[in-house]
Amino acid sequence: MLTQVLLQLVVVVTLMVLVSIAVFVGRYRLRDTRLEWRARIRAAAPVSALLAAVLLFNSVARQYGPDVSWIIHWNLTWPIYDVEGEFILWLQSFEAPAITAYFSFIYIYGYVFLLVFPVIAYFALSNTRPLRELLTAYTLNYVLGLGLYVFIVAYGPRNMMPELVDALLYDTYPQYQHLTRQVNRNTNVFPSLHTSLAATVMFLAFRTRAIYPKWFLLATGLGVSIAISTMYLGIHWAIDVAAGIVLAYICVALAHVLVGRWSFTAWVASLRDSSTSTGADTNTGANAGFPKTPPSESTSKSHSHSDSDSEPESETGSDPEPERA
Amino acid sequence: MNSPSDDADTGTSRRSLLAAGATGLSIAASGCIDRVQSVVDSDAAEQLSLSILSLPAADGDRESAEIARHLEGNLEAVGIDATISTRSESEFLEAILIDQDFDLYVGRHPADFDPDFLYETLHSTYEYDQGWQNPFSFTDTLSIDPLLERQRNETGADRERAVTELLEAIAQVKPFEPICVANEYRAVRTDRFDGWDETHLGTGRGYLGLESATSSDTEQLHALVTDQRLAQTFNPLSPTTREQDVIVDLVYDSLAVPTWSVPDEAEATEEETQAGAEVIDAANVSIEPWLATDWEWDGDTRTMTVDIREDCTFHDHTEGDSNDDNGNNGTDSAIPLTAEDVRFTYRFLADTTYGRTSSASPAPRYQGHASAVDSVTVEDDYRLTISFSTDRAVAERALTVPILPSGSDSPWIAHLESRVDSTDDDWSPTQGDWSIVTTDHAPPTGSGPYKYDSHDAGESVTLTRFEDHFTLRDDDHDLPAPTADELHFEVDPGTSSSVERVASGDADITTSVLDTYALESTLDDEAVSFVESPSWSFYHVGFNTHNTLCSSPRFRRAVSQLIDKQWVVEDVFAAEDSARPVATPVAEEWTPDSLAWDDGELVTTFIGEDGDVNVDAARELFASAFEYDGGELVR
Repeated sequence: MLTQVLLQLVVVVTLMVLVSIAVFVGRYRLRDTRLEWRARIRAAAPVSALLAAVLLFNSVARQYGPDVSWIIHWNLTWPIYDVEGEFILWLQSFEAPAITAYFSFIYIYGYVFLLVFPVIAYFALSNTRPLRELLTAYTLNYVLGLGLYVFIVAYGPRNMMPELVDALLYDTYPQYQHLTRQVNRNTNVFPSLHTSLAATVMFLAFRTRAIYPKWFLLATGLGVSIAISTMYLGIHWAIDVAAGIVLAYICVALAHVLVGRWSFTAWVASLRDSSTSTGADTNTGANAGFPKTPPSESTSKSHSHSDSDSEPESETGSDPEPERA
Repeated sequence: MNSPSDDADTGTSRRSLLAAGATGLSIAASGCIDRVQSVVDSDAAEQLSLSILSLPAADGDRESAEIARHLEGNLEAVGIDATISTRSESEFLEAILIDQDFDLYVGRHPADFDPDFLYETLHSTYEYDQGWQNPFSFTDTLSIDPLLERQRNETGADRERAVTELLEAIAQVKPFEPICVANEYRAVRTDRFDGWDETHLGTGRGYLGLESATSSDTEQLHALVTDQRLAQTFNPLSPTTREQDVIVDLVYDSLAVPTWSVPDEAEATEEETQAGAEVIDAANVSIEPWLATDWEWDGDTRTMTVDIREDCTFHDHTEGDSNDDNGNNGTDSAIPLTAEDVRFTYRFLADTTYGRTSSASPAPRYQGHASAVDSVTVEDDYRLTISFSTDRAVAERALTVPILPSGSDSPWIAHLESRVDSTDDDWSPTQGDWSIVTTDHAPPTGSGPYKYDSHDAGESVTLTRFEDHFTLRDDDHDLPAPTADELHFEVDPGTSSSVERVASGDADITTSVLDTYALESTLDDEAVSFVESPSWSFYHVGFNTHNTLCSSPRFRRAVSQLIDKQWVVEDVFAAEDSARPVATPVAEEWTPDSLAWDDGELVTTFIGEDGDVNVDAARELFASAFEYDGGELVR
């Protein structure tokens, strides 16, 4: 059951990505990418490794997180419900099968596409800064969002308002529960990571609107739809969505400040000079040493050195596994 | 026991603090100004506040959640500041049964076919105990306790009278208020295994004696459960794992088992056979021999002489016997089950420290059963004499506990020894919440028809048929034997997705009880149907009588009048006739006329109509005991 749903997801999102590459990225950027991909991967590798490490940590910590949450026990369900009233019920009063189908599609497929495509679109740019900012912002979203999940226990509208019967995702499309159960806990609703990651892409798309004007429009449409879908499907409260947008803003702003502040490449180079490090340590060094390294020369321009030896880490580093979101 | 109230206080202030924080996040939301205002003004006269513990609607129990919201709305209407605290299934049970940190809760009580379950539920002996014994901390030593004891000591019509008196007394003081009893529904498919309607699917017996389809190529029965704790902990003493009875029944043997009779086709009413739903007879439960071959009751001395089956063994989980032919290998090294193990079980349930501490530490389950037993005398390996403090009906019910292994290889003894060794002299484990009760206890060592094989924590658990089990070995009985080679229980938290998986052939049965709204889904497949089983488990509101407000019977009666049971049954339970309102917590045949729902004179009635409370009348009810200040009930 799970594999079937997963396969379907991969196929649909791949199709969407291929079409989008043709529409938004274009032939010339692809041609440049073929020439420069090594350098670009090298530039994005440290933050990709960091993101991968965070996702890996998350998948391990997810088993223990709920227990810790119940011990700390900040149950926000009632305060949220009390403040927000019955906004979700109002939203659901527009319920219609076609709308439910649209938002269910957006919630699953649109969301994964929205997270995957900008990685490719920004990879196709000679300037790697947008890509690194995107991956940094993703990482920050996870770290901050999952941090909040540890402290805050809250159930979404579907668990609080039993009268939401008709438009619930898992009742209309039960197969998706197998998918989302792999990555979500039902007490992790504040803030909405669906919203925050979508809004992150939106904010960055706004920043790169000069380069990808049409993508900015699509990202905005998708992002707004995703935010609404989380509420319409009874998964999140309006307050979760608001908090998600705030979290996204913080992450994008932080990413802007952080990216380019430290250069991992320069740090490795300095280590090579003193010749104390072995190659095997690079991966762990990326996580532990990366933030601690003192600020060195700015790397806001893309790296242009082209070393002849190809790096094996390029394969793992380029896959940020965004579908785990 | 002081700490819960402290916790509650800090909880409230923390909650209002967070509410204020959340308010800041959504300034646009209406009503926030009022809320801040009420926090500021609350110094003068404090509004009465109550927190209702409940389960999540979509991933827990939709009906409980909806009843909780019904109650919350009506409490607000009479001027009480009511809030709902939503907890996951196991956290919910832990708050009620272990921490006893709650004001009110809405949930299901497991109950039983015999009214004696009320003894452990309400007797004052258990006021400070943790577990299913007296979660309400209720004490009434003058009227309720003597009646609880009397119904244990009487027999026949005398017992019926005692039970009637008891139920009427309970309806007056209301330590809890029963709301309704809902039938249990499960989706099954019959193309791989059939015979689901033979007995109650809420017990392990439901998974035995099935008919395996000849064309079937798979001998694994695939069952779905909603509670992931079922695939995490296998401790038969754990009170916080709901619906674990099926697995406990399958892994452990008991001396006797409750048995349901199946009505003949002709006797089944039209309603019962509607929509393909199969019905077994709720009223006709008897305790039949299982591990015991026979017993003799001596009414004068209140002793029972029990003969148990010979040459039964506990499951062997030591390495090496799993792959090769475990017929021979298993018998050699396996621990035999003897009368000594039965003696151990009853003593251990009464005191999980087994005499290692000065005060007994009763298990958080089976106290109604264990407390009926005075002493057990081992006559020989397969014969024992049990001396009871109760009459026959209650004594026979005590035979249904799972038999645990004693002896040096016993995991219970081993755990006990290691705890005694690792602590100093004044070792005093917390009753109901010490490690022997809370440990996962994997692999579980029982002697039942299925043996634990493996589990994937929180995902699934697999049991394999225990080839040495007496139901397969002996032929002097007509007891059901295990059919499927393997039972695979997989966690699937969604009602809709569970039904879909049974419908698509991915699973054979939904072991967990389905939410009634699932019955509305259409099943196209002829091999798939819903099986209806009777239930004693009742939805109820539980009061923590250690809470100052809830300690007043008057208050509890007034709150009970805020629940429209008829509306709950018609509106909350989606499927027609799936639930019936009740005024008393016992099975139908024990319900006295005075508490019959339709015309009993002691039935508590809702103050209002069609789910809408009559606010003025209800306020009058509360005004007789409390004061109103500007529409708010204050203390």
